[in-house]
Amino acid sequence: MTTPQTDQMRPPGAQAPGPGGGRPARFRRRLRTTPARVWLLSAMSVAAIVALFGSAAFTLNQARDGLNVLGHNAGPQAMATTQLYLALADMDARMADVLLMGTDHDLGSGREDALEHYEGSRARANEALLQAASLTEGDTVEERNVQAVLDGMGTYEQLATEARLINDEAAAPPGEVDGAALETYREATLLMHTELLPKAFNLGLDSSAIVRANHEEGQESVAIGLVWVGVVGVAAVASLIALQLYLRVRFRRRFNVFLLAATAGSVVLTVGVVLALTTSGGHQSRAKEEGLDAAMALARAGAIATDMQADQSRYLADPERADNYQQTYLDRAQAVLFRPATNLDAYYEQIDGVTASYPDLPGSGGSDEEDPGTLGYLGQRAQDALLPGQEDALADVLAAYDAIQDRDRAMRAAAMEGDTAGAIDERMGIAHSEDGVFREYVDALDELTRLHEEAFTEGIDRGDRALAPWTWALPAGTLVLLALVVAGVRPRLAEYR
Amino acid sequence: MRYRHRRTVAAAALAAAAVLGLPACSAVVGEQASLVDADSLTVGVKYDQPGLGLEGEDGGFTGFDVDVALYIADRLGVAAEDVEFVGLVSSEREDKLVSGEVDMVLATYSITPARKTEVTFGGPYYVAKQDVLVRADATDIQSVRDLEGGSVCQGEGSNSARRITEGLGIDVEQMDAPSYSACIDRLREGDVDAVSTDNLILAGFLAEDPSAFRFVNNPFTDEKYGVGLPYGDVRACEAVNKAVSEMYQDGTAAELLDTWFGETDLEVTTSVPQFEGCS
Repeated sequence: MTTPQTDQMRPPGAQAPGPGGGRPARFRRRLRTTPARVWLLSAMSVAAIVALFGSAAFTLNQARDGLNVLGHNAGPQAMATTQLYLALADMDARMADVLLMGTDHDLGSGREDALEHYEGSRARANEALLQAASLTEGDTVEERNVQAVLDGMGTYEQLATEARLINDEAAAPPGEVDGAALETYREATLLMHTELLPKAFNLGLDSSAIVRANHEEGQESVAIGLVWVGVVGVAAVASLIALQLYLRVRFRRRFNVFLLAATAGSVVLTVGVVLALTTSGGHQSRAKEEGLDAAMALARAGAIATDMQADQSRYLADPERADNYQQTYLDRAQAVLFRPATNLDAYYEQIDGVTASYPDLPGSGGSDEEDPGTLGYLGQRAQDALLPGQEDALADVLAAYDAIQDRDRAMRAAAMEGDTAGAIDERMGIAHSEDGVFREYVDALDELTRLHEEAFTEGIDRGDRALAPWTWALPAGTLVLLALVVAGVRPRLAEYR
Repeated sequence: MRYRHRRTVAAAALAAAAVLGLPACSAVVGEQASLVDADSLTVGVKYDQPGLGLEGEDGGFTGFDVDVALYIADRLGVAAEDVEFVGLVSSEREDKLVSGEVDMVLATYSITPARKTEVTFGGPYYVAKQDVLVRADATDIQSVRDLEGGSVCQGEGSNSARRITEGLGIDVEQMDAPSYSACIDRLREGDVDAVSTDNLILAGFLAEDPSAFRFVNNPFTDEKYGVGLPYGDVRACEAVNKAVSEMYQDGTAAELLDTWFGETDLEVTTSVPQFEGCS
């Protein structure tokens, strides 16, 4: 049994007030008693453990919110917004095809099919606009953009329908679009390319910006929360060790098993929460970068390529502006997959080179000043975002893209030779909605996009799973710690009853 | 550039994390310094391009690019008196931006995939097209194909004539002059048949002497005039894009285009261009 010093054995209440002893002095004297000090140290430990619980619970909640917003809210919405550009570009592409076909309704996959796809894309564009409207709520600049696209779509549809009706009435043969119909279509496609598509594209970029800002703010506040958890955890451990040491000196015990367990438990809880938050944050970042960002970049590669292949129809349908459409074809192609080339012939060669050397990308060493590398949405960037095992999927996309360029070369060669029918056949073959090379490209791209989308969902799930055990482990662990403190201190305090 | 405020919270968190030895904390706190937080800006512009960026005798700069820069700066919270303009030649645009000598470049700076590996581009704030300027009395040239067999002047280091020869496969004689203003002089003198480059640049010269020349008005190729920003400054890039959207929505862009190029028969686009994206 320990033998505490006599003056400290007196219960606090029995202490006589000293001469001239004011309140502070009395308080200090009271604190000098062993039980009071045990009480104080215990209270500090309990407070630190409760604070650990509080800071950990708060930060875990922030991390869960971040995952939820990215995984189930802003992320998928942003992805949906990128569909707007695709849908609009497809509408204009189908309309160009219909005009080019003229009276021959069986070219490629047929006029009916093209009109059905036009309708489908129109519906998807409307849907994507609704998504965009809800995502941009409260942002006046983007709200105005959404409104402008909505209004413009109405005008576009009027013009496009008018062009089609004029062309039908004139019974224009394939490749010889009626003059008035062409005038109207020019107006429509100009509206599409100066008013609608840029704004749609910018809306998609803006939703990416929203996701990025959300993500970074979330990660920042979790990081600050982590520091708090760490600081409070250290405080809890320190106060438990102080309590342990005091009991050891005062009661001449070697160590108090319960307090030792509580100390170890606090360390485990702190480190566990910190690790869970860091792991989850890592999963979240990877879900965003390797999943969502990569998927959205590929969605843009698909959307711009849709507009690019439509330039083939515009090139054939509007001989007067063929030079311009050929140039915009090259410009859009360069955005999708860039290799240094000043004209299409050089570009075809370069793209053959890419598929030939894949998985090495030409020019990536940076040794050649004239050759900045293989860039654009399907270039270095797509390569860098690849996850293990996805190389084949990108190879398929590049091969399909190369096939489009091969057919493009054949189409333009036919057109240059004056073989309009042959050129139109090539074009409608490329655009065939079942077995055209463009379809193959879209399918390959969808497959690669799906892989990234899976990585996104998977990353969010992993992030959730890293946090999940702490939903119960944190309150349970806190209760155990508190119980241990009580169990460790109570027998000692009992000695003073 | 001076900063309005440092990211003190993040810095403190980082320091605390380092002291406590918390794992991987530094990996998640990553807000970098951005032009968004600047309260003064140094902007690189052209100094010899009438209508776009031209240095006056008093050392002040005027032009479309200058006004767009001031609009963007204002939206970034930087007052006009805190914006300093620096005249740049084309070849030094990347270097000055990379070295940090200028914070932002608006100098008929076309966005290209190659440049995007060194520079982050906000915008484009305008999409110019390559066009051809001929003497007003050269009525026989109605399209770029009518230049076949003629001569086309281009500024040194430019490849605009190559776009006609190689890009469009038209046989023209390529003449190099030290600058586009030298090209314009040669065109006036009758030494060359045409000058070809971005229509906005041509319009700037044309506005100085509207009766002497005319556009063939056969625009080919898109020249996306971007706002050059330090590589990786995504926040500034997004803020610039927002500012450019507003500039078109509130009618400022249309006004500026009219101010600088209204005298000419240039067909300007007054709706917001398709942005390049910040990542």
